[in-house]
Amino acid sequence: MTETDLIETNLIDTTVLLTIVLMACVTYFTRIAGYLVIRRVSLSQRAITVLEAAPGCVLVSVIAPYFVSEHPADLAALVITLLAATRFSLLPTVIIGIASAGVLRHLLA
Amino acid sequence: MSSDAMHAQTIDSETSSFDASSRESKDVRRGLMDALPVMIGFIPFALVLGAQASQKGLSIVEVPLMTGLNFAGGSEFAAIGLWTSPPHLALILAITFLVNSRHLLMGATLAPLLRHLPKRKAFATLFFMCDESWAMGLSHARKRAEAGHMIPFSLPYYLSLSAGLYLTWVVFTALGAWLGPMIGDIESLGFDMAFPAVFLVLLRGMWKGFRQARPWLVSLVVAALTYLLVPGGWYVAAGALSGIVAAYLWVEEKTVEEKPVQEKQMEEKQVKEK
Repeated sequence: MTETDLIETNLIDTTVLLTIVLMACVTYFTRIAGYLVIRRVSLSQRAITVLEAAPGCVLVSVIAPYFVSEHPADLAALVITLLAATRFSLLPTVIIGIASAGVLRHLLA
Repeated sequence: MSSDAMHAQTIDSETSSFDASSRESKDVRRGLMDALPVMIGFIPFALVLGAQASQKGLSIVEVPLMTGLNFAGGSEFAAIGLWTSPPHLALILAITFLVNSRHLLMGATLAPLLRHLPKRKAFATLFFMCDESWAMGLSHARKRAEAGHMIPFSLPYYLSLSAGLYLTWVVFTALGAWLGPMIGDIESLGFDMAFPAVFLVLLRGMWKGFRQARPWLVSLVVAALTYLLVPGGWYVAAGALSGIVAAYLWVEEKTVEEKPVQEKQMEEKQVKEK
């Protein structure tokens, strides 16, 4: 199928396509901009120390909503998952997280 | 990670007896193995996103186009949540930027590790940078640095890891769009807990003691409060930035109080620069 075929069969809408492409451009910009800025400057020791703390800050912020869930079952499952994460590798922790959330939601629903 | 010891051993043997190509294929395999649990975690989210997108009227071609070109789950969920027909372009682009603004920081932390790569390869590497590939690429590089590798960042490892994650995301979001309404309330089954589970294990891998983790606590509190009080996707940017500011301020305190620590860091820096 050519692109015009796709558009004629309503599989791709031009406005949707434009939105998707521009979204991708914005996202790609966020991915390369930090790299482009940092690769040109040589970093101070202080900047390096701060950048070393950055990864954890980003990850914690992304999952912060889980820590203030309204549902007791979700909070309890999060605590279990947190404990699992301190002891086990990725796969067991994921399985424990899913299982505890599934079971606790069923029990506390 | 329980596989740490094994992994370190692998790296040791690499430096001595194996040639470059077998080392690379080992990194490729390692990347795929590490990707596997994250891929499992991706599947329910991808299916849900695809189903939500098809409910909003996106076609089975448009959904993988979005997830394949954008490859940033958080912003895709946000965009689909706000999707109207026709979509409100400026709103969706602004939210996309906001949710993905953490990439600015992530790219900056990756930059020193990518110095050895030509720009073209670095740009390709950055296209696949999501939370998981970035965190796992960093921790793999850290282990290699500790094992004495001259070039800590392994492109074969990172790319095979990314390929696993990318294909899972695109294929399963498309599948979600195709299955659409057949996907019930998948979240009630607990699959969404895979997401924080992955992140918590990644954080554990970065853990260097409570003192170094204090900025994380600042991030957690600020992000959580922002999430509760401010509508929209501001909480990630607010949490990450306040943690960075806290880290910056704590560095100052450290350099005044504890000179030996600073000297140690200088030594570490010199080792890294070698």
